[in-house]
Amino acid sequence: MRPRVLRAVTRTVLLEHLRTPEAVFWTYGFPLVMALVLGFAFGEGKAEPSRVAVVDDAPAALIAAIDEHSEDRVTAQTMTAMEARRALTLGLVDLVVSGEPARPVFDLDPMRTGSELARLQVERALLRAGGAVDPGAGSLIRPVDEPGDRYIDFLIAGLIGMNLLGAGMYGIGYNVVMMRSNKLLRRLAVTPMRRGEFLAAFLMSRTLLALPPPLAILAFGIFAFGVPVHGSWLALLGLILLGTLTFAGLGLLVASRARTSESVSGWINLVTMPMWLLGGIFFSNERFPDLVQPLVRAMPMTQFTDGMRGIMLGSFDPGQIATSAVGLAVVGLLSFAAALRLFRWN
Amino acid sequence: MSRAAHGGRGPAIRLAGLRKVYTTRGRPPVVAVDGLDLTVERGEIFGLLGPNGAGKTTTVEICEGLLDATEGVVEVLGMDWGGDAEQIRARIGVSLQDTRLFEKQTVAELCALFAGLYEPSRSVEELIALVQLEEKADTRYAHLSGGQRQRLAVATALAGRPELLFLDEPTTGLDPQSRRSLWDVIRAYRDEDGGTVVLTTHYMEEAAQLCDRVMVVDHGRSIALGSPAELIAGLGAAHVVEARAPGLAARVDGGVLEGIEGILERHANGDRLHLSVTAPHVVLPGILRAFERAGVELEALTTRHTSLEDVFVHLTGRQLRDGGES
Repeated sequence: MRPRVLRAVTRTVLLEHLRTPEAVFWTYGFPLVMALVLGFAFGEGKAEPSRVAVVDDAPAALIAAIDEHSEDRVTAQTMTAMEARRALTLGLVDLVVSGEPARPVFDLDPMRTGSELARLQVERALLRAGGAVDPGAGSLIRPVDEPGDRYIDFLIAGLIGMNLLGAGMYGIGYNVVMMRSNKLLRRLAVTPMRRGEFLAAFLMSRTLLALPPPLAILAFGIFAFGVPVHGSWLALLGLILLGTLTFAGLGLLVASRARTSESVSGWINLVTMPMWLLGGIFFSNERFPDLVQPLVRAMPMTQFTDGMRGIMLGSFDPGQIATSAVGLAVVGLLSFAAALRLFRWN
Repeated sequence: MSRAAHGGRGPAIRLAGLRKVYTTRGRPPVVAVDGLDLTVERGEIFGLLGPNGAGKTTTVEICEGLLDATEGVVEVLGMDWGGDAEQIRARIGVSLQDTRLFEKQTVAELCALFAGLYEPSRSVEELIALVQLEEKADTRYAHLSGGQRQRLAVATALAGRPELLFLDEPTTGLDPQSRRSLWDVIRAYRDEDGGTVVLTTHYMEEAAQLCDRVMVVDHGRSIALGSPAELIAGLGAAHVVEARAPGLAARVDGGVLEGIEGILERHANGDRLHLSVTAPHVVLPGILRAFERAGVELEALTTRHTSLEDVFVHLTGRQLRDGGES
């Protein structure tokens, strides 16, 4: 490795990126906008009352009972049986109520938690209206909106993982293939630049470019939403660096053979799609069916988001975080090794 | 002080029995280079001339170390790609066909990139001056014209003061003025730095104007080798007469020109006739009389000096331009 050569290549790669304003937007602007929108959408605000349709041929007592005894946890509308059914299907209401106050009939979608909740709320209102002892009188309800338990606290780690995956796939994978299809790789291959020097300089510059966006997302989460970091900052930064390198390795691997932007796009989708769906970016992947769990666990994205959340939210012990880090490192090293073997200069 | 000026001993390139066969599964193997022998001396501008698909680029890329030979000896500056790859790369300069450099870098930055890859190297200013791109020094690659990109490609190839410069179709697609200005750069490199140049081209005029020696390549084989003047003289005819008339080839094959002295060779195809002659003023009256007798209505008649194009036609029976492989 000669510093002179590394410097020349690194400088070129950095400038090439910084002169592409749209790339800068997609790496910085996009995740921040996403954090903002999703943070608010699933964050602050009071719980919405359950929406319930009452079939219009039901006795007036049924509607009155719901209206008066639901403590504003339910908003009821009357509609025809057919309208009510339609509204349920479209998700405009969570529950359809008909029948007598003493023997109510509920139409609901058992897969929707909102439906079950609405049923409980309506049942409770009807019990109270019938003079029953308040079934929940002895219970205390404490709403949870503390930092650490909100969606945004969960989301930030996922957004960082998604960003690093994008940096590896596009920043490295796509760019390398473009250099190959422009025959720029061959042009460089006939200079005395050693191949390892080029790859090192390229990865170094892309890593430099990939690190600031996760830090920006993290800072945004902390300052805009008060997202906590309960664990060690050093471990957190170390894990981000490790994630950057692992996804860089995967990016180099998808780019090792492809000759055209079309073919590399296919490979990128093949890697990206499952990670978006199963990698625990937007929602927890713990409860996916057993059948896909081996795949879920093998994914570097799962290791990364688990590790990040373990550190940020303090939900994992150091042993589990170390396991995630090792899993990530193994995938990264295997990718690099395979990419170097397969890499095509021509 | 240029390294090229001290040079070394022995030829710049020596190829012996070079063969390159491309094998793709499920398809018959393609022989791109079929037993080529070639020695390029130091300090000469050597041209590989031939139609597209003749094997020129394959030959050059084997010399550049980008492709492996299937068989044969390849020596570059007395060294072997097997053992001395890095040394060879440090001493050659290369401009490949249809390469696109980094789009968002300026001319000066791209020169700096390539200068950074060689030790010792030319300065950025020197490189830009060599190819006269001073006015474009701060223009990004994406905004350069085809001719400017080609000149820049040659500048990057000169970054390491190479002893041997490979240029693969350096002037394809350029206007005549850009072409001539690139020729000047190439000549200056040879004359002032004492460098050796190997270039490929399918422009006969380029080979004739620029090259000290050319090898005419067709179907991966050498079909002629020598200076442009020697090759033309080898035809024994200094001039060419070309005529066009409806159905001319059939009439000529029917014997219209029999008995006219001084026609060395003829090729007829459709409406066109191509004659090699020693002296047009001696031959033309006879030809015109013969046509008149046969009632041939000429649409065009031209005479010119024999060119390398005629050498190619003589050797292959085909025009250079339509000689491309499928």
